[in-house]
Amino acid sequence: MTYEKRVSWQLRLILLPSVLLLFAFVIYPAIYSVYLSLTNEALTGAAALNPRFVGARNYIRLFNDPKFWNSLLVTFLFVIGSAVIGQFVLGLFSAILLRRPLRLKPLFNSMILLPNAVPEVVAGFMWISMLAGGERATLSRIVAFFGVEPTDWLQTFPLTMIIIVNTWRGIATAMILLTAGLSAVSHEVYEAARMDGATPRQIFTRITLPLIAPTILLYMLVSTVSTIAIFGFVYALTRGGPGGATELISIYIYNQSFTAFQLGYGSAVAVVALVFSLAIGVIYVRVLKVEV
Amino acid sequence: MAAPHAQNPSKRRGAELGAYATLSIISIFCAIPFFWVLLASIDGNASLFLQWPRELTIDNYVRIFVKEDGTRWLLNSLFVVGTATLIVMVLAGLGGYALSRTRAWWKRPFLYTILLIRVLPTTALIVPLYKVLLTANNGLGTVLREIFGNGPARQILRYVGFIDGYLGLILVLATMQLPLALWIMKTFFDTVPRDYEEAALMDGATLMQRIRRVLIPLALPGLGAAGLFAFISAWGDFLLPLILLSSPELQTLPLGLFRAFLRVNTIDYGFLAALAFVYLLPAVIAFGFARRFLVQTFSGGVKG
Repeated sequence: MTYEKRVSWQLRLILLPSVLLLFAFVIYPAIYSVYLSLTNEALTGAAALNPRFVGARNYIRLFNDPKFWNSLLVTFLFVIGSAVIGQFVLGLFSAILLRRPLRLKPLFNSMILLPNAVPEVVAGFMWISMLAGGERATLSRIVAFFGVEPTDWLQTFPLTMIIIVNTWRGIATAMILLTAGLSAVSHEVYEAARMDGATPRQIFTRITLPLIAPTILLYMLVSTVSTIAIFGFVYALTRGGPGGATELISIYIYNQSFTAFQLGYGSAVAVVALVFSLAIGVIYVRVLKVEV
Repeated sequence: MAAPHAQNPSKRRGAELGAYATLSIISIFCAIPFFWVLLASIDGNASLFLQWPRELTIDNYVRIFVKEDGTRWLLNSLFVVGTATLIVMVLAGLGGYALSRTRAWWKRPFLYTILLIRVLPTTALIVPLYKVLLTANNGLGTVLREIFGNGPARQILRYVGFIDGYLGLILVLATMQLPLALWIMKTFFDTVPRDYEEAALMDGATLMQRIRRVLIPLALPGLGAAGLFAFISAWGDFLLPLILLSSPELQTLPLGLFRAFLRVNTIDYGFLAALAFVYLLPAVIAFGFARRFLVQTFSGGVKG
């Protein structure tokens, strides 16, 4: 065996454990989910012992299932509300304002980054106190300042509340990415614009935004796929309720599969989520021309 | 600078004030949920509401470790997440090196596959994954019972079982962190010149010697970043332990916290807040170390 050949085999060998794990626990399950979605597989009952192939029946049921469409809508609104609007707007504000040489900059920076480190269950737990019902809960006390009546926030505005919580978790991600994008824009461009008498507003809409557009697109794609995957903190806060108002597609998959024990039907929902995420992933790779 | 250096000083001060005001509001929004956990955890009469503790106490923390199973939850979490992180660092170190150095035809398809795997939500994979693990676990159980008999087999399965055993959770947690870690390490090795290895090669070093003496020392910063991100993400994960663990002996911190919270009638907010703080602390510390790597990792996807 030549030396070149031996090295190439060695490289394959040390990559092999990673390949095996990824195949066993990601790729094979992803393919297997398509098969499962065509069966009436269940965790309990007769179907658990003897699962049958049922063809497209799960998908037909899915198509006529208002709870499935509800979960798609809830997920869509959740992504738009928290990733596309909430995190992005607050993250952009923070990124732009923190470019100034402010004295409290490190403090602001740390405080905005902090929620990013919080484990999902803890996040849910913290916000249960924030959003509790009654006059003594934190949010109620804050809005009482502005003359708003206290209410049981998670019951009255459930979807808005989980959007706020997710915004809270993700401002830092947007801020970090957008800061990187902003710092790539050269100072001379701004100088030149100012020489020509551009107003701050014109500078922002005509120069800053267009120049960081690729970063914004990257952020949108990355945050959309990661927001579709969110399960933990919403489950800890609401378990999908009240009445399905916060039943994200991930929670719907979980409830169908592990509460209703219908693995086949749960898989059909999961396949839809997989296809969506893969589509966004392909756009991500193609539009941004990721170099590998 | 995005902000104009206006010639007019009063205008400039106004802009500065606006910046302070906006950043203060955003920061307070970010920080406020933390206060309750901090204060309630040292409050003898903690409630669901934010209040200043009348008497300070460490009783809540004592209860976690002495009266309840908090010590076990913490050790389980540290063991499971620590082992998973170690596996990720070893595999991503080796795999990232291979991906960086190979010139084989499968390099590009492989890297694209890794990118696409990163976008797959774990929540969508969990059902087939559960079936796969269940089948593997039943097979393993049958074999172990054949060899060791019923009783010992159950004990062994606690460790090497795929469902309700340490091994299954560790391997799955590690696998979920692997794509990002491989990507970080591949990108990292791309910046390490080959000269060092070639020099070692000239001296007749074998692959293993090259890895140990030359590559590991060079790769430490990359491994640090990959390990920190794997740790933070695995530490915060809730779905996998929720589905893969059921025995109280195996319970990890997120499950302990979640289940303590479900004891509706006897909710003890001081205890819960202290537990949440214990669970939160390692994540915040790891995040503090990971901060300087954040930018490269997030934008890593574009710059390659």
